[in-house]
Amino acid sequence: MPLSAIKTVAKAQNGVGAFVLQCKRLDFHYCNWWGSSHGMNTFIKSSLPSFAKRNPQVEFSVSPRPRKHPVIIAHYINGTQRSICVKNLQNEGVREKAELLRDSNGEKNRKIGKPVASINESVRGIWDPFHGAKINI
Amino acid sequence: MKRIPVSRCASQLLAQPLPRRPSCPYATAKTTRRSITPHNHRIQARFQSTAAIQHDGELEVELPEAAGIASTPSSRSASRGPRAAYLKPLPLEQLPSPHPSAAERSTKLHALRSRLSLPPRFPLQALARTLVHPSADPNPAFNNASLSILGRHLLGYYTSEWLLCNYPRLPMPVVFAAVEAYIGPKALATVAGEWGIEAAAEPGGEVDSGLLQFKRLKSGDELPAALRRQAPWKWNVTTTHKIMTTDEFGSSNAPPSPHALQKTPVPMEEAAQSFVRALIGALHVHLGSPLVKRFFRDHFLSRHLDISTLFDFRTPTRDLSRLCAREGFEGPVARLVSETGRLSRHPVFVVGVYSGKDKLGEGAGSSLDEARTRAAAAALKAWYLYKPVEVTVPSSMEGELDTSKWRPNLIDCGEVIV
Repeated sequence: MPLSAIKTVAKAQNGVGAFVLQCKRLDFHYCNWWGSSHGMNTFIKSSLPSFAKRNPQVEFSVSPRPRKHPVIIAHYINGTQRSICVKNLQNEGVREKAELLRDSNGEKNRKIGKPVASINESVRGIWDPFHGAKINI
Repeated sequence: MKRIPVSRCASQLLAQPLPRRPSCPYATAKTTRRSITPHNHRIQARFQSTAAIQHDGELEVELPEAAGIASTPSSRSASRGPRAAYLKPLPLEQLPSPHPSAAERSTKLHALRSRLSLPPRFPLQALARTLVHPSADPNPAFNNASLSILGRHLLGYYTSEWLLCNYPRLPMPVVFAAVEAYIGPKALATVAGEWGIEAAAEPGGEVDSGLLQFKRLKSGDELPAALRRQAPWKWNVTTTHKIMTTDEFGSSNAPPSPHALQKTPVPMEEAAQSFVRALIGALHVHLGSPLVKRFFRDHFLSRHLDISTLFDFRTPTRDLSRLCAREGFEGPVARLVSETGRLSRHPVFVVGVYSGKDKLGEGAGSSLDEARTRAAAAALKAWYLYKPVEVTVPSSMEGELDTSKWRPNLIDCGEVIV
């Protein structure tokens, strides 16, 4: 055989064709007794149904956690989970935190240095000293 | 509970049903409501709306009434008159896979359907069935074996036609490798992971239907005989043979049939790929091919694969001279374009391959020979990776009355044979 091929796997580019939301599950934990859960309880009663309706891709679960601060735990497709304690937050604050968890992708927060990160190779190619305008020094 | 008549479009999916073993109870129940026939206990216990076996006329089944039935299986046959006496309910733990009526209540399935942007008319029972590997449930009316066979052929068809139309000059080994990169077993398992599929620890009727159901291969155990490398299709395997008779990856031995994996512990990868294939098959059955094509384009063709990195040339210079002779070009000549540091520790030579006055390719290397080889490989890739500007794939004309948009595709005579 003059030619053989190298086996590989095509890389996913989420959002290029289909977009898959990376947050797959949100757990809401509340306490009926503690005052720190007040906002969380209001959120669960008033805003959570509409929030869940707006985000059908996410699985929601609500469970009591007595004698603890309220917490939102998000599970992501890459296997990680993030949790945010929402003690003493009001309804709006809890909703903001839930949206933050829903929109994040489960990776650790890190600084993005370069403005563009791409797996496509540059149109101009790698700089090459032998091509382009001849510069006489 | 929703009743979905699917037997109309899906009767080709499964083999002939066993006698006296009806498998699309909803369809039959819809047509013949009031006849009484004794039938199999298992079917009585598990009604299924997505099974796709031929319609047999003289069957009466009892539909589970509403949500909450499967959680209290004893109530399933409690209030239905004289037949209730011999409808023996099974406890959920004895079912090999979740009851189809549990699908509507699974939040995981609802979330999965929305996550994949599938329309709500795609029934959750069908989605639940695609998650049941034959190793969990040997009954072909409840597992995804038949759907995954259909999906495998659809995936193979769409991928290979897209590759062959877009890159008409690709050598066959590269075509096979590219197909495998898009829809090979590893790729499909990765896709399932990226869709957020979780596996059940152990399959069973009480498990959430949104989990992948399969019998796990224990860590350290040997692969089952069906999955191990078997005797090849043929001992003298030629490229023609690979194209004509093997599967879409040109593999040397036959993949195991999904029906052969009943009750066999399998690795997660096997179950995940069967799910993805079965989902494609189920989409085809329930929503039709235009939607499958769109789904395929969005989820598979949108993946990034640089085909130029798949080539592995042995003797590119010889191939290039054979190619030039075949195409009637002048013989390729390598010429030094520029160089630097010839006597230093790290020289760089830039060599171009010329056919007459045309430069076919160019490469840089730290020795003259390396640069020449790279230049020849670049020239060969430039030839093989030719891409027509306007491409219509054959499947885009399926069922079209107006064929004026069809553009015939280029068919190349193939790679260089040395």
